[in-house]
Amino acid sequence: MYRHTVFDFKQATITVRPDIGAVYNRFWRHLANPGGSLTGGQRVSVAAVARGGIAEADGLPLEISQLARHLMHDPATVGSENVRSAADAAGEAATVETIAIISQLSAVDSFHAALGIPTESLPSPVDGAATGDVVEGLKRRRTHVPMPAGPIPVALDLVPAEGRMLEALAGPQYMTYDEMALNDFRRTPGLDRSQMELISSRESFHNECFY
Amino acid sequence: MLRASAIALGYPFEMAGIGDRSSDTGIPGSGVILDFVDAVFFDNSADAARDALAVELGPEALVDAAGVYANFAMMNRVAEGTGIPIPGAAIEREAEMVSALHLDRMLKH
Repeated sequence: MYRHTVFDFKQATITVRPDIGAVYNRFWRHLANPGGSLTGGQRVSVAAVARGGIAEADGLPLEISQLARHLMHDPATVGSENVRSAADAAGEAATVETIAIISQLSAVDSFHAALGIPTESLPSPVDGAATGDVVEGLKRRRTHVPMPAGPIPVALDLVPAEGRMLEALAGPQYMTYDEMALNDFRRTPGLDRSQMELISSRESFHNECFY
Repeated sequence: MLRASAIALGYPFEMAGIGDRSSDTGIPGSGVILDFVDAVFFDNSADAARDALAVELGPEALVDAAGVYANFAMMNRVAEGTGIPIPGAAIEREAEMVSALHLDRMLKH
C-alpha cells in the first residue's frame, strides 16, 4: 500500500487549502496502485513519459506513450486518429486509463506551475495485477472512446475508478456539485463564481477547447 | 455558465473580453485574473502576475485561481482525449459567444 504523504506545500509562500493537498495525496495513491487495465508500474510509467522522464511506458505499445506526450503538452491537436491508434494497439480500457492519468496529472502539475512551486516526484508503484474493473458493453457515441451518454464527468466511466477520481479532484480545485448549483457562489475569502469561470474560459480559449 | 453567474452576481459582463484583452469583461479583478492565466499558460513572467493577483484579490484568491486553472487543464484534456461531443443545443445557445470569440475553429468534434 502506498502511504507516503506529500503535497504539504511547504515551498509555497501562501497557505494552500488542506482539501487540495488531501485530494492530491489521494490521486498520488490512485496513480501508484493498479488500475482497471494497467498495473501500478505501467500507470506511473505513463505519467513519467508525459513528464519527459522516460521515452516509453513499461510494457505498453508505443502508441500509448505517444498519446500521453501529445495529450500532456499539446491537447488541442489530439484527435480521433491519435486515440484510435492507441486503442487499436493497447485496447480501449488502457487508452481511457492513459487519458485519465494524463488529465489528472496535468491538473496536479498545473496547480504547482500556477503557484510557481516545484512539482512532486512521482510515487513508487504498488505491486499487483490490474483490477479488471472495466465496464462491459459501452460503445463509442461519435466519441474517440466508449462512454455512456452525458457530460464530461462520465467520459472516463469505461474505467469507473478513473471517473470517480476525476470527480473527486474537481470539488477542491473548482466547485463541489452543491456549490455549482449556486450561480452566485462565492468562496470567502477567495474568488466568486464569475471570477473562476473567467479563468476557465480564458484557459480553454488558449487550449482551443470549446467544451 | 459565465454569463449566468455574472448576471447572478450583478456584473456588467462583456463576452468579447475573454478573447480580446482590449475589451473589459466587467468581472471584478478581470485584469489581474487574465494576466495570471496568460502568464501561467505561456510560462511568462508569472511571478509578477501571481503577486498582482494576490495583492488585488487576496492570497486565498491566488490559491483558488491555481485550483481552477488546474481543474481546466484536466477537463480540457478529458474533452480532447475522449472526444466527448458538444451538444448541438449548446452551440446554438452559445451562438453569441461563438461569434464574439471566433470559436468556429474549435468546433471540431
